[in-house]
Formats: sequence, structure tokens, C-alpha cells
Amino acid sequence: MRIVGAAVLAAFLLSAPWLLPKFVAEFWVSILAEMMIWGLLASSANLLLGYTGLLSFGQSLYFGFGAYGVAFGITRFGLGVVPSFFLAVAIATLAAVIAGFFAVRLTWHYFAIITVVFSLIFYLVAVGWKSLTGGDDGLSFALPPIAKLGDLELTLLDPTFQYLFILAVVGACYLLQWLVLRSPLGVAFTAVRENATRAGLIGLNPYLIRLTAFVIAGFLAGVAGALFALFSRYASAQYMYWTVSGEAVIWTIVGGAGTLFGPAIGAALLILVREELSGYWEHYLILVGILVLMVVTYAPKGIVGSLQARRAARQ
Amino acid sequence: MSSPILSVRGLTKKFGGLTAVNNVDFDLPAGELHAIIGPNGAGKTTFFNVVSGFLRPSGGRVSFNGEDITGWATHRISRLGMARTLQIKSVFNGLSVYDNVWIAAHARNRFLHPLRPARAYADTAAVVERSLEAVGLAGRSPELAGNLAHGDVALLEIAIAIAMRPRLLLLDEPVAGMSPEETERTVLKIKELSASINILLIEHDVEAVFKIAEHITVMTQGAVLCQGTAQSIAADPRVQEAYLGVPVVAGSTDA
Repeated sequence: MRIVGAAVLAAFLLSAPWLLPKFVAEFWVSILAEMMIWGLLASSANLLLGYTGLLSFGQSLYFGFGAYGVAFGITRFGLGVVPSFFLAVAIATLAAVIAGFFAVRLTWHYFAIITVVFSLIFYLVAVGWKSLTGGDDGLSFALPPIAKLGDLELTLLDPTFQYLFILAVVGACYLLQWLVLRSPLGVAFTAVRENATRAGLIGLNPYLIRLTAFVIAGFLAGVAGALFALFSRYASAQYMYWTVSGEAVIWTIVGGAGTLFGPAIGAALLILVREELSGYWEHYLILVGILVLMVVTYAPKGIVGSLQARRAARQ
Repeated sequence: MSSPILSVRGLTKKFGGLTAVNNVDFDLPAGELHAIIGPNGAGKTTFFNVVSGFLRPSGGRVSFNGEDITGWATHRISRLGMARTLQIKSVFNGLSVYDNVWIAAHARNRFLHPLRPARAYADTAAVVERSLEAVGLAGRSPELAGNLAHGDVALLEIAIAIAMRPRLLLLDEPVAGMSPEETERTVLKIKELSASINILLIEHDVEAVFKIAEHITVMTQGAVLCQGTAQSIAADPRVQEAYLGVPVVAGSTDA
């Protein structure tokens, strides 16, 4: 059942650039790519909230670092797409190491607050330092091609190649999460989530384990931000704002915190609602709010979490 | 007698104006099942909390297995081989019974591999099986710990402690809140375990203590009142006074 579901999803995602235009307008391929990017940001919040028990409202910070990393790499340092991408992810991960060093000393609401504070500080710096970051207007850039093989030019300007590039990177990030979550480290994450006191008593260092989760989450958010900058050829301070992190938390809760694919499904669903409704009704967020309230009230484990619980109950 | 596994000198813990543990000296010889008893507020749990690293002492030293562990963090002390159960039973509620014990058995490997499947560690799996069997929970592996009955949670907590392969096991009121049958079962398990692990326990249920422990320490008002074999403690009028709050007339047998 699980394997069949994963295979169907993989087949759909792999064939989407050719399959989707047969049924819907071509821009839906781009929307699907965007869903995967935001889904990856949600999975970053989920690694903390769902698996390690830390509610972060600051994942947009590492998303923003990833996006600006790409923009700086291309515009300031004249790097290619791939080196800029690695630079961006390295910067975001390093930022998570530094912020995590302070943040994971705290838990619960204190942790949530400090992540918001870090996020706000860098948002205000990014908005204020216009000469460097472009402030609210952001930094736009032109994409150099990734590689040239004779006549064939690999470039993200080709929508199909761009989609497959994003799919490959996001897929690799999910493979990484899947591996980590079934490893001893992954079990330790859930042990700290469930009972940090007991975790300490059996010889685990809750601080180090939370820090590790925080850095991996920062890495994932950084990858998402770097992809988003490549996708939109643009980086802006507005993506560092804490409400972007808040959206990632909402996607996670709607899709199912503590499930691997739930957050991405939550993100896809709410982006779908936005795409379909925002054109007709400018107050569509009211509907999103109602949807979130319904999920939290009637399916507190989220969409995927509730389905899993139902399947477990039947067995 | 071999050198003590746990040695405490002048241990003091103050909470503001209250001295919960007052200048306690205590030695636990290796190879013994020892109980600390005492009325409510005698400082027994605070004593455990300081020894296991939950609280920093206000004064005094704690050495464990020859190493001075005063003021160490709990995870460092536990890596040295001290396991502990809590008065309010504390397990990983959202994890399966199996995973509860698995992570305890595996935590002594300081490096937590981030990519290798947890199920691939045959040695850890063997320890888990043995620990669950030792407390009689072997058939309950896939159940969520949070769904277990109170008595089974207490046994799971002991299984977690065994899986750590400790040199010393601190049990904080192991039979508190248990039915008579659960108490009997748990007392039996503790006796079995004491053949291979040094055990120090705190207990309120004096009857259970006299069934288990060879040696007993009595605490009142943060200090050690007396120490001795179960029989000598049972006969000591000071102990009866501490529990009942009135001096016992010499020769009186009811307590």
C-alpha cells in the first residue's frame, strides 16, 4: 500500500512535464515545481516540530539565506548556477549552526520566540541594507546556463529541465530525510521529542541532538530557498519574514506533523487553494483559515497522520 | 569489602531557606540491594536528584565508580553507568515499547549514525530482546508505551534501565501506585535483577522494602537517621518514632 502510493507519486512527478499539459494549462508544471519547493520548506519545519518537538517560526531565515546566497553568487561573484547553489546552501547551513547554538538551549514557547526574533533581526537588516540586498524590491538576476554540451545547452530557462532539476534536488532531500529518520539519529530525535528528561537519563545529550536537527532543518530550508531563487530569478527580504515560516508550520500541521510527506501535501493543497481561488476572491485566506481550523479540530494529526492512524487502527 | 560503587560526602542541597538534604555521608558497597526509607519530605528524592545530576548540590561531593561526578549533567553520569527510574514514571509515550528500550540500549554508542538503518544493529536488538524478556514485556514490543497500564509502564522503565547495562540502578518508589499483584510481580523482578546489578531504591511501601532489601538507610529531615540490616532497622525505636511522630515506649511491639 505504502510502496504503491510512493510509486504512483514518483511516476506522476516524473511524467508531469509531459502529462500535465495534456489536461491543464502549461503553467501548472511551474506551479507543481513551486509546490515542491515550498513543500521542502515545510519539511524543514516538520523535522523540528514533527520529529524533534521544536516549534520553529524561523525557517524562512534559512530559506532567505539560501535565496540570497544564489543571488549573490550569480550577481556579485559571477559564479555559475551550481557553484552558487552550493554556496547558498553552505551559507544557510552555517547560519543554522550559529543560530541553533543559542536557540536550542531553549524549548517550547521560548524556542519559538527566539526563532522569530532571529528571523526578524535579519529581515530588518535585509530590508534596511538596500545597497546589498535590494531591500523590499529584492535582487533580480539573469540565469547563466548550467552546462553546454556541443549544441545542447542545459539551462533552467527551459521549463522542463528546470522542473526536472527541482524534482531531482527535492527528491534527494527527501531521500536524505528518509534515511536520517530511520537511523539511530532519527530515533534519538523522536526520543527527545517525547521526553527530553528521560533522553538525558539514558545517556543522550538532548542539546546536541536538538542542534543536529536544527542544522539539518536549516540545510533543508536553505536548499528550498536556493531553488526558489533559481526558479524565480529573484531574492527578496520579504521571504525572510517570519510569516513565511508561519506558513510552513501551517502546511506541516495541515498535512501531518511527524509524517515524511504530510507537510509537502499540506503545502501543495494550500497552494492549490490559493491558485484556484485568489483570482476570483481576494479574501480567499478566510477559506484557508477555515480549512486549517477544521483540520486542527477534526484531524489534529493532519491529513497524512489521520490516514496513517486509521490504517493502523484497522490492522 | 570492595570499594563502594557510590560514595557521598557531606552532601547538602538547599532550596532557599529549606535544607532538603543536610550533610549526608553515604557509601553503597558493590554487590548490594540497598533501600532508603523515610517519611514524606525526608529528602530521599532530592538525594537521588543530586546524585543523578538533576540538581546541583549546594555542598559536598558525589563519587561514582571511583570518579567524582559532582555537578555533572545527567547524560554524562548515565554514560558512566548509572541508570535511574523516576517517581512519576517517565518513558517515551509516543514511541513503541520496542523503540523505548532500543534507544536506551543504543545510547551508549556515543555516535548516532545518521544514515544507517536503526534495525541493522543486531547487537542492540539482542539487548532489547533480553531486557524486555527480563521484565516480562517481550510480547508487547509494537504497542505504544503511552497505551500501557501503569504497572507495565513501571516495568518498561525498568527494562529501559536494564538495557543501558548499568553498574548502578536507582529506583525511585518502584511500586508506588501499584495494585497488590503488580507490587508482588515488581518486587520479584527487582530481587532477580539485584543478582546482577547494584540497586539502590527509595520506597514508601515499608512492607515491600523489608521483603527486598538486605540493607536499609533511614532518612528524616534531610539527614541519615540510621543504617543497618532489615531486622535491626525494623526493631529500632528511632525509626518507629520518625514514622509515627511519637516516641515509642520500650517493649511496645505494635507499630
